[in-house]
Amino acid sequence: MGNQVIPISNLHLALSVVLVFIAGGISAALRLGLLKSLAWGTVRTFVQLTFIGYVLKYVFTVNNLWLIFSIVVVMCYVAARASVKRTPGVPDYPVTLAFWSLLASTVLVGLVVVRLIINPAPWYTARIIIPIFGMILGNSMNGIALSLDRLYSEAYLRAGEIETLLAFGATPWEAVRGCVKDAMRAGMTPTINSLMVVGLVSLPGMMTGQILGGVDPGEAVRYQIVVMLMITAAVAAGCLMLVGLSYKRLFTPDGALKGEITGSRQ
Amino acid sequence: MKDFDVMTELLRINNISFSTGANGRDIRVSAGVDEGCVLGVRGPSGIGKTTLLRILARLRPAEGGEVFLQGKHWTDFSSSQWRRRVHYLAQKPALFDGTVRENLQKPFELAAVKQDLRFDPGKAAELMERLFLSANMLDQDARTLSGGEASRLALVRALLVEPSILLLDEPLSALDHGAAGAVLDLMAGWLLGAPGRAMVIVSHVGELDRLPGFSVCELKGKEGGAVG
Repeated sequence: MGNQVIPISNLHLALSVVLVFIAGGISAALRLGLLKSLAWGTVRTFVQLTFIGYVLKYVFTVNNLWLIFSIVVVMCYVAARASVKRTPGVPDYPVTLAFWSLLASTVLVGLVVVRLIINPAPWYTARIIIPIFGMILGNSMNGIALSLDRLYSEAYLRAGEIETLLAFGATPWEAVRGCVKDAMRAGMTPTINSLMVVGLVSLPGMMTGQILGGVDPGEAVRYQIVVMLMITAAVAAGCLMLVGLSYKRLFTPDGALKGEITGSRQ
Repeated sequence: MKDFDVMTELLRINNISFSTGANGRDIRVSAGVDEGCVLGVRGPSGIGKTTLLRILARLRPAEGGEVFLQGKHWTDFSSSQWRRRVHYLAQKPALFDGTVRENLQKPFELAAVKQDLRFDPGKAAELMERLFLSANMLDQDARTLSGGEASRLALVRALLVEPSILLLDEPLSALDHGAAGAVLDLMAGWLLGAPGRAMVIVSHVGELDRLPGFSVCELKGKEGGAVG
């Protein structure tokens, strides 16, 4: 077959369902109660991915800049909602802030990668932009959820220290700087860890996909390096923007810590 | 309550009102503190004595009323400038990770403090000694201090930044008789040590009346209001 993709026929695709039987067998044997979820998850995987396959085929064929941009905006909104849902300790957090942080960091880093490094013709080639932006968003979403969660948990935990600093005349930024640092670290640590072990513990999904698709491993590695570094930059930028926009929400307009953070000290 | 005197009154509290969470009572406070004097805030548990101190420090909002510092309305100050001058010390003060020395130096890292003051190690050692805290403790991990030591260290830290008004919440509660006496002596010395200083203290301890110019503000429910 050379460097060609080995096609998966409908019959072979249906055969992959056998794999779910293994998980289903374990669930049944141990009475995990996951059979229904497994079946529903399998159906959703087939339906969602088939649907997205047709959508992507259409988008790649049309290759319209505004359509691509609209898709990126929708992806950012969905990612923003998902990231806020992952932070149950953050009361009434507006999706808007998460959305703008994700959009700004994704577009910024994505455009650098697409225009300066990959440089396809035309630069808004959907086949390049959508997977690249999708990978950035998937990772940034996790990063900002972790940093937001940590920012609030640190603020609750260290409310006494923050108030002590405020009582000495600290600005809200000076008072909460330690929490912001911890929040940034929490958001970025998984990405940095993955930089450390990439290629040693597992081959990243994109690289594996390219190799399975018949691309030369050397070329796949080059792409993967760009992707890893781009994700690192996007996660850092996304966390910084979100935490930078969020820390003021811990304070009243007069620069005092909000009642729900100080709790009993009110 | 002292007679209102524009020349010497440092802090004026005008109809500050708030309601206390526990019993929903509405409190209204008017009082004044002269330079070099102490206002003691008293009242039953849960009436809102700590809340009043936190409002005076602008660490929580009041429902109404206003406060003047040397005749200047509190909103004429930024919150940062106000808290730099009207310093609140909690009953259980927070200490930061690090040594005793680092805890004493911490406020001097803040823009509002370092623009007009530098950390004075000699003064810190002197104040510590007066409160029975050995200078050898400077390199000790602050988290290993006992409750009483932490309380005295926090008072030293507060005095080092030279506020105009000290708002103290039960400053003697964690102290034995000897240490409480030393704290009271230090407070009296601080009040009279320079012009433009005063204190507002929440305390159940009766010995506060030995402090200079001591007057009492008794907090009551809405029916009686509160007076200085």
